[in-house]
Amino acid sequence: MSGLVLKGISKSFGGTRAVDRVNLTFAEGQLTALLGPSGCGKTTLLRMIAGLEAPSSGSLLLGGRDITGLPAHKRKFGMVFQSFALFPHLTVRDNVAYSLHISGASRTEAAETAKRLLDLVQLSAFGDRRIGALSGGQRQRVAIARALAQEPEVFLLDEPMSALDAKLREEMQVELRLLQQRLGITTVVVTHDQREAMTMADSIVVMSNGRVEQVGSPQDIYHHPDNAFVADFIGKANFFDGVTEPGGIRVGPMHLSAKPNFVRGSPVRVAIRPERACLDDEPGENRLSAKVTFVRDLGPVREYHLDTPLGAMVVENAPGEVRKSLVIGDRTEVRLPPEALHLFPDPQAAVAAE
Amino acid sequence: MTAVERIEAEMPDRPARARPTPRRILPWLLSVVIGVLCVVPFLLVIAISFGRKIEGAAWQWDFTLANYQRFFVGALWPDEVTFLYLQQLGFSFWYAVIASLLAVLTALPFTLLLTRLSRRAQAAWLVFILSSLSLSEVFIVMGWDILLSNNSGLPALIKSTGLTQWLKDVGWFQTLRDWGLASPRNVKFKTSQFATILTMSYLVWPYAVILLYPALSRLDRSQSEAARTMGAGGWTVARTVILPAIRLPLFGSTLLLFVFLLGTYVAVTVFAAPAQHTTAVAIYSNIRGANLNAPFGATQAVILLLAAGLCLTLGHRLNRWAEAR
Repeated sequence: MSGLVLKGISKSFGGTRAVDRVNLTFAEGQLTALLGPSGCGKTTLLRMIAGLEAPSSGSLLLGGRDITGLPAHKRKFGMVFQSFALFPHLTVRDNVAYSLHISGASRTEAAETAKRLLDLVQLSAFGDRRIGALSGGQRQRVAIARALAQEPEVFLLDEPMSALDAKLREEMQVELRLLQQRLGITTVVVTHDQREAMTMADSIVVMSNGRVEQVGSPQDIYHHPDNAFVADFIGKANFFDGVTEPGGIRVGPMHLSAKPNFVRGSPVRVAIRPERACLDDEPGENRLSAKVTFVRDLGPVREYHLDTPLGAMVVENAPGEVRKSLVIGDRTEVRLPPEALHLFPDPQAAVAAE
Repeated sequence: MTAVERIEAEMPDRPARARPTPRRILPWLLSVVIGVLCVVPFLLVIAISFGRKIEGAAWQWDFTLANYQRFFVGALWPDEVTFLYLQQLGFSFWYAVIASLLAVLTALPFTLLLTRLSRRAQAAWLVFILSSLSLSEVFIVMGWDILLSNNSGLPALIKSTGLTQWLKDVGWFQTLRDWGLASPRNVKFKTSQFATILTMSYLVWPYAVILLYPALSRLDRSQSEAARTMGAGGWTVARTVILPAIRLPLFGSTLLLFVFLLGTYVAVTVFAAPAQHTTAVAIYSNIRGANLNAPFGATQAVILLLAAGLCLTLGHRLNRWAEAR
């Protein structure tokens, strides 16, 4: 089987296009995260995969078979909803065995499967409880076990961690990833939390305004963003508007050495990750004078907010990288290594640069 | 200073006893008036039910159980036993149960669809349904009387379109005759239990929608969707997810409409055969109608009330039992 393939999938609600010509391939056995801001169309895309929404155009293929017109109850896709959508009138065990009960499986088979799945999600002692008697994390596990009971070909999760507190969310991300790896099931997770996507996914699909902005591994997307939106949405970045010129970019009064792949005079957005800018004494290009305006100590890292000739900038350094501790008001120099600069075409930047 | 004086001196000033003011008295007064207005007529009915009818005159206060005895075994007991009044009570229950179930079961899919419309469409429908409640029972029954009348209503339409002949040709006409829904010449709805129940159900249908609407509009749609992703078709979703989720409001609405319908008077007098009249009709006949036997009318009213109370209690227990399971 060659996984799930989306070909030119679009969805419009009235005059609003929620999903716009999306082409994607979800590799078999891999976990893919659909990542984007609220309203970018990721949940609509997931619902179309589940069969809960009909695409306005395009097709869905599973193992080469067209399933676009197949109703949700015939797709055999397990889905975990944002609210978990557990049935409050059933016990935990009956929730998990629901798909087996309605498919006509024997009571013994349903009970055995429910037991196995409750063991898998470490809730074997909770089978007789009502849903109302469970915590948020336990409910999420029941929802996962329930979705897995029908042995789905594709496992879909719609913001499964959003109802959990921060600590539990981190734990469940790791647990879910381990479970998915153990079962080797093709999984699609919708999230707006880039940390969650980076933790769990083999592959991330970054979406904006109904379109796919970039597809790649977490490392690819973080270190080689395709455009300014991805650079801004995934992690932190300092942005400057500039214009290309021989050997680099002109940003305001300064020339920055870089390797622009644009014709001379092209308006560009320059981005640099906070941890790639250096507060060190190493010689090199692109050194800017800076004044420390704020220091944010986060424990493992320290953020320096700087005022530079290019504008405000945030530099993130691990403790020890900076030889001397800087405090608010100190004057220093910040170095922007040319290889750390990302350049993106931006017509709007031209106006700003001029 | 003695110990007692010292303690009293240390204690904060006691608040002065609140003086009765009109603002304080008014709620009490209103409660008493409402209580009296609700309870006194009720107590009067109970007291009258033990009264005695004087032949050729009105009635007098007394304490006799003859009226209750007459209700259960007839006036001639022990020489002769008749269950006429129990039969009337049985018809009251029969009509009320079937009509309330019919109203709730037909209102359920309608209300479910209503909750899936846009906000504006929902508001328009609810206003329309609420406004239909302003129609009186007499007015509604008159409309149905015309609609179901043998000469100008549906039977005439059925005959003129050739449906009656078709029913005769396929042999179903005899079945309708067996059910009392046809004369030798044409289908007929007056008088019939069908017309009685249909009209009673129509009377309470808007109430059924309004009672079910809050519960159905609060239904978590993601639960139905979750069931669909697990292989449940439309009917399975309704049976295993929607109905259990609205079991309580569904049961409560049916019970409420049932109690309401126990007192239906106009629809029964117009559409039901005299032999199938209900306790409500008999009560009116005794108190204001031809019989003029207020004590026995009051007895029937008390028994109807007790029976309704018993049904509510049984329903409540049944529901708690089902919930515990």
